Amino acid sequence: MKILIADDSRVMRQIVIRTLRQAGYGGHDLIEAENGAVALELVHTQSPDLVLSDWNMPEMNGIDLLRALRASGQQVPFGFVTSEGTPEMVDRAMSSGALFLIAKPFTADSFRDQLDAVVA
Amino acid sequence: MSTDLDLVRSPSALEVRELLSGLLGRDVSLEPAEGFSGDSAAGSTFAVYVDDRLTTRAVAVVDLPLSAYAGAAVGLLPAGGAQDAVAERDLTPILKENLAEVLNVMAALLNEEGRPHVKLADVHHVGAWPSPQVCADAAATGRRLDLSVTIPLYGAGRLSIVGVR
Repeated sequence: MKILIADDSRVMRQIVIRTLRQAGYGGHDLIEAENGAVALELVHTQSPDLVLSDWNMPEMNGIDLLRALRASGQQVPFGFVTSEGTPEMVDRAMSSGALFLIAKPFTADSFRDQLDAVVA
Repeated sequence: MSTDLDLVRSPSALEVRELLSGLLGRDVSLEPAEGFSGDSAAGSTFAVYVDDRLTTRAVAVVDLPLSAYAGAAVGLLPAGGAQDAVAERDLTPILKENLAEVLNVMAALLNEEGRPHVKLADVHHVGAWPSPQVCADAAATGRRLDLSVTIPLYGAGRLSIVGVR
């Protein structure tokens, strides 16, 4: 399957990719976006099967990306990977249509806990 | 009437160690240290955390060596490059970018339900001394955590996290 990773930090995208491999998801097609606006375009042009997105990003943040996707009828599975981990932020994420929120810093186990149900 | 809950939370040394160890992928060790508010001779990194009204709520200060080592370790870059940066008192763009992400993730240490929500707003890197207000915030007494941090295979340096307003 195709997984889109949206994060404005290049090193964090590398860490997410590394952790996906450590968690056993290395064989998937991974594409990257440096902000929400690029991610929104890539969802429409590349049709990923899962989006893993940071929350705080320039141009378009993660929650606005999620809301824009859902407003356009796009139902791609969507999870946050973010330093925003308070229950209030988790509630905002879920009520906007996210499947999960993985808080940074994360481990391969925290990826498996959330992704096993989504990634075939 | 203001209460303690009007302030960002004060992280513990254990939480800092766990966050850095997880993020850098190696067992970081740390010890309590004397108050550190920046080294104007060598240069330091200042991170400014603001609430949703853009009011500064916390400042983190990282000395030159730890700036270089953390920026290198998070990206699995060679220790030699970080040591060169310390010797030259300047960080490469990739070290700065990587360090900024470490400081961004550290915002998680300051957030807790029921308290003001903060996020990283600005990073003043080595070579760009911040405004007098940021310097004053970094020197504030009271709610601060001053640490000596050692990153295995890289080296040690100073980190202070200061809660303000």
